[in-house]
Amino acid sequence: MKIICLVKYVPNVEDIKYDYEENVLIRDNVKLILNPDDAAAVAFALKLKDSRPDLELEVLTMGPKSVRPFVEDLLRRDVDQATIISDTAFAGSDTYATAKILAAYLKDKEYDCILTGSKSLDGDTSHIPAQVGEILNLNQMSNLMSIEQDSFTKDRAVFEVESGDKRLKYEILFPAVLSLRKESGYELPYIKYENMSLDVSDKLDIISNKELGLAEDSIGLKGSLTRVANTYNKNFKEKDKTVVKNDDQGIDFVYSFLERKGFV
Amino acid sequence: MFNMEKTLIYLDPENIKNSIELLEVAEQIHAESDFESYGVIINDSAARQELNHFDYIIKVQNEELKNYDPLAVTDIMEEIENKYNFDSIIIPATHFGRMLAPRLAMRLHVGLVADVTEIKKDGDELELVRPAFSGRIMAGIVTEARKPIMLSVRQNVFSYDSPLEKNVKIIDFKPVDYQKGNIKLLESRKNEISYDIRESEILVSGGGGTLKNFEEIKLLADNLNAEVSASRKIIDNGKASRNIQVGQSGKTVSPDLYIALGISGAIEHVAGLKNIENIISVNVNKNAPICSLSDIVVEGDAMEFVKKLSAKIKKNKKQKN
Repeated sequence: MKIICLVKYVPNVEDIKYDYEENVLIRDNVKLILNPDDAAAVAFALKLKDSRPDLELEVLTMGPKSVRPFVEDLLRRDVDQATIISDTAFAGSDTYATAKILAAYLKDKEYDCILTGSKSLDGDTSHIPAQVGEILNLNQMSNLMSIEQDSFTKDRAVFEVESGDKRLKYEILFPAVLSLRKESGYELPYIKYENMSLDVSDKLDIISNKELGLAEDSIGLKGSLTRVANTYNKNFKEKDKTVVKNDDQGIDFVYSFLERKGFV
Repeated sequence: MFNMEKTLIYLDPENIKNSIELLEVAEQIHAESDFESYGVIINDSAARQELNHFDYIIKVQNEELKNYDPLAVTDIMEEIENKYNFDSIIIPATHFGRMLAPRLAMRLHVGLVADVTEIKKDGDELELVRPAFSGRIMAGIVTEARKPIMLSVRQNVFSYDSPLEKNVKIIDFKPVDYQKGNIKLLESRKNEISYDIRESEILVSGGGGTLKNFEEIKLLADNLNAEVSASRKIIDNGKASRNIQVGQSGKTVSPDLYIALGISGAIEHVAGLKNIENIISVNVNKNAPICSLSDIVVEGDAMEFVKKLSAKIKKNKKQKN
């Protein structure tokens, strides 16, 4: 059985703070991390691999070459093989162009299942899993909260997704694309001490458009159908607040406010 | 006769009400011209009454077809598009909508803007605004001049308010063919929360400051005939179901009154507050970000406030009786 995990490295949005007075984002000291939903996908695959010695696990990512040390750390966690798609010609690609690039790599590969995250912290569009699925003519499901490990085979999987206020349990036949949520709780294992500085370069491929051979006008900014024209900071309307203490007087003040407004 | 513009709205059975509200989005996109509105509904028996703001309803009723199968539904949507050639296709950003929209956009070779929260239209220039970086910033996106314009729209952000009832024409659409996606629904169950915080008039909301005894904030909610919601911190710590999460990664809410207990007001959270007239926040730190959005800031412990205010309301109720 072979699983390919599609992952992305993103700026850790949690580090981005907002200055409400100036209405600007503070982006200092923002680190790159493995997108949390994608980490859950790799974590599930590694967990499955523990009980399935025949499982072959590849990680695929697209981004600058600077993600290499992060990808190497996945290889040190027992991922069998990793591929980084990296080319300055891909810079500026929107989701439409990005899906085409990823699919160009995947179309000649053999696999039973593609596992990935439901959404990324930075763009948060959730387009890539569905669009890669569309190009490869594979079905795709998002928002996976759990996968039944025992019934996961070369042919099928049974899993639960969150949909509005419902939990839905599905069975899907492979090949297919399944997108997990970090709330599924699958967590990456630590790197074993003896593997901390293991040389994994023989398991890592870095490929560019030379190998993929996509037409120049189908990638990067030229191949994109959407572009960011403007960014806006959120302007929050400040109110004339009244600050009170949590004492009888304060509670009375709150109560009369509620009474005046008809809430009590 | 000139060619009237046409819009198609995907009516998701998961949230029919909000899907219909997307007519407001259509009106803003086609602001300069008359347009015809089409709604498409697959294997659902929504009442005609609800749908009478549309010019046309395309009904697809087919027992074999699974309306949860993205591959099958994409095929049908493509067939409908090929027949009618819409100027815009608008899809609610529900669980299913967020899988359908990107597939369909790729199939039709058009750009897609996800999770739109605002439409900016200036003459022919159309900019679709959406949150990025988990709601920390808004990005205005423009798409290549291909048709149809495609977007998914964040739920509960737009509301459609028109008294105009139309003589809706029902189109019984029989798809010629579609792929079956080899997926089977085995089980569906409701999450334990029975209310929808997007519909609430009063929300008593707990954050990190109520982590130790979150369930106790219900006391205040009960006394105010309100419902309980929470910030992401509570959800991530497993104290409550995601259904009641307010914020960018949760739901957008617009109650008349929002009481924020021990919520600092990280932008993730504030992004989920829309047009709220009255906000009371209780926080040990009176300079927490949420305080500048509040009418009243109570400086102190959230749980103490819950108990004191609940007692006060109870006492006054008795006196009134």
